[in-house]
Amino acid sequence: MDPFLKTLSEYRDYIPDYERFLDHLRKPLPVYFRINTIKTTIEEAKALLSNEDVVFQETVIPELLKVMSHVHERPLLAYHLGYIYPQAMTSCLPVIALEPSEEHRVLDICAAPGGKATHIAQKMNDRGFIVANDRKRGRITSLLSNVKRLGITNTLVTQSRAEHLNLPCKFHRILVDAPCSGQGRYRIDPQTGKVKHVVKGKTNLPAIQKSILKRAFDMLEPEGILVYSTCTLNVEENEEVVQFLISRRRAKLVRISLPVPSSPGITEFKGRKYDRQIGLARRLYSHQIDSVGFFIAKIVRQ
Amino acid sequence: MDETNFYDFDVLAFSRQAFLFRRQNHPVKWPERSFVRCGLPFVRNVAGYLKPTTAFVQRFGHLARKNVLRMELNEVCELATKGELMPPGPVKDIEVPGYVIIKTASQILGVALILDEKRLLNRFPKAMTQALSRLSGQ
Repeated sequence: MDPFLKTLSEYRDYIPDYERFLDHLRKPLPVYFRINTIKTTIEEAKALLSNEDVVFQETVIPELLKVMSHVHERPLLAYHLGYIYPQAMTSCLPVIALEPSEEHRVLDICAAPGGKATHIAQKMNDRGFIVANDRKRGRITSLLSNVKRLGITNTLVTQSRAEHLNLPCKFHRILVDAPCSGQGRYRIDPQTGKVKHVVKGKTNLPAIQKSILKRAFDMLEPEGILVYSTCTLNVEENEEVVQFLISRRRAKLVRISLPVPSSPGITEFKGRKYDRQIGLARRLYSHQIDSVGFFIAKIVRQ
Repeated sequence: MDETNFYDFDVLAFSRQAFLFRRQNHPVKWPERSFVRCGLPFVRNVAGYLKPTTAFVQRFGHLARKNVLRMELNEVCELATKGELMPPGPVKDIEVPGYVIIKTASQILGVALILDEKRLLNRFPKAMTQALSRLSGQ
């Protein structure tokens, strides 16, 4: 058995309909386009995409379209006009959970390439104030390019290690979309049976995630909301990181309202027990939503 | 463009480029060099001319009252493919020479440079030029 599949099998008891989950991993990742309502309307973008022979379906998220035809081979005019942002459906959900509004100061602490930061700007009608931070120069370039392409005026971009970030203000909303092992993106090659999209490395991700989450939480205004998300199923990178925070800070998990099916956070795994409120976090499995697997926790500063 | 449309914004000018930044209700003082970029690139100084950025005109070009050139999409594609065209129709309300906003029936695409009544030069970003060239090949 592929060692990465073996890792996934540790979650057999937690993933609803595990066999269907495995079957689903044999299908390619679907493509979604988020319509950038800062620059266009949903109707105008749909009309242009149809003119460019893109076949799409509406989704439960009004600004998100599921692309049915293959369009990777050619650049779309709609893309260059900043009307669309290609994005996994689950990538939209942390922003929905964050509930940013026009009056807020928002920090996206691991922002590149900018899918969620630009979605936050869209939810704020390009008002308020966003700080979009990332660590690496190359990733900052794509972040800057997307912020510009989507015509956003309310965003300041910083380049710093998230765990050492020092800013002159506190924030009403903070998104920590942490670097992760990316198990939610795993797909099985039907020919070889091997797992694709594996992120290899020896980095101690949970240590980095804990450090980033703690730093981010300390920049939150009282009663402010922080959303922690990853695209992995790994408990050590998800529930255990959130457990680390709530055992060290006055942090409380709150219920998340999502427009798609999801499962509760795991409160007991391999003999380890976590705080009961971690059950309020949500796990999203790819076979239930036809997108990348995700973990989302919504945390309030008390 | 009427400046009242921009009361909600600050213009941050640097040596060769200016940025449009949404005005803050409770501004925070950011130390110099503590950020990479702030707001939307707005205009650049190109050989003594102020060139509006493509991103800016795509977002705010609908507010322009002059220096707007209406073209058919196939003409825009031809401009992208050939790099230069004779301006289609009279160049009314357009300062020549100078930068001009290119507008089709439904979209504002970017800017071109009009040198005189016979020469219109493509100034779309490279990737967009490629996308338009491919559209013309369909």
